[in-house]
Amino acid sequence: MAKVYTIEQRILKRNSEAAEENRRLFDTHGVFTISLASSPGSGKTSLLEKSLILLREEVSVGVIEGDVQTDRDARRIESLGVPVVQVVTNGTCHLDAQMVQGALGHLEIGKVELLFIENVGNLVCPASYDLGEHLRIVLASTTEGEDKPLKYPAMFRRSQALVLNKIDLLPYLTYDLKEAESLALKVNPALEIFETSCSTGAGIPEFCRWVIARMNETTAA
Amino acid sequence: MHESSIVESLINLVRESVPDASQVRRVEVRVGLLTGVSPDAMRFYFEIMRDEMLSPKAELAVALEPLRVHCESCGADQSLAETAWLCPACGAGALAFLNGDELHLSSVEVEDGEGLHD
Repeated sequence: MAKVYTIEQRILKRNSEAAEENRRLFDTHGVFTISLASSPGSGKTSLLEKSLILLREEVSVGVIEGDVQTDRDARRIESLGVPVVQVVTNGTCHLDAQMVQGALGHLEIGKVELLFIENVGNLVCPASYDLGEHLRIVLASTTEGEDKPLKYPAMFRRSQALVLNKIDLLPYLTYDLKEAESLALKVNPALEIFETSCSTGAGIPEFCRWVIARMNETTAA
Repeated sequence: MHESSIVESLINLVRESVPDASQVRRVEVRVGLLTGVSPDAMRFYFEIMRDEMLSPKAELAVALEPLRVHCESCGADQSLAETAWLCPACGAGALAFLNGDELHLSSVEVEDGEGLHD
């Protein structure tokens, strides 16, 4: 004879609970938190390097870096003089809310107003894990296919902004920027889109202004 | 490959949800189409992890939840078996998704170790 237990619970319940705890901690300390996700090599760390220089003129910034191996990204951020914690996942393909919780213990959270969490380079897995962030930003670059949004819809659908990076390379590529944008909007009509180059700095000021505006909106609410 | 982490969370939740020493026979989950989670990959990891973490006899049943959409252009309410970004009725890109993010443990079937009569 068998017995059936009806459960009806979220499989990632633990993660959701930890994410809620993170969100409460951020709100208590007035920290506006943004996560960044993309394929490896789209320019997440470069976008941070360029943006932090502008953003720190207006607010105090901090960064959590997620990578499968090495602290190379954290060292790049540290060299700017920005407080940073590296999470090395040792093989896990995404950050989860508990890992972020662990990293928060190493940051002086009371001194940070704007926190970036750079996820592991991966457009699939990070989409399933709420970290407790206020905003999700997805990056894609002109050296990838225009159809990334259709291939990885979960990530694009759950993000509020898309940064299309490496636009300085457009003259050398067949990449169709308009096509990429229209496919992204098909998956998520509410996406805010920025065209940037971390080599020339194009689009970075606009992106930073938007970040500050979202931040003021949320902290005022 | 995050299915491995998801299945690990699933098995832990199953173990928390039934009495200790239960022999789990069947685990039923519901997966929404917008999660990007692959049922095949879930089954693959489940079969690797069940022996040590649950029971070699445990089976995983994954039900893909139909995607309910409302078209804000033509007003049609539809239930889809595959993800679509354009309304199947009128072709407009104005679909509101009413679900799709499910990743739920529905039920767990265990052998009744007490050996009760029926």
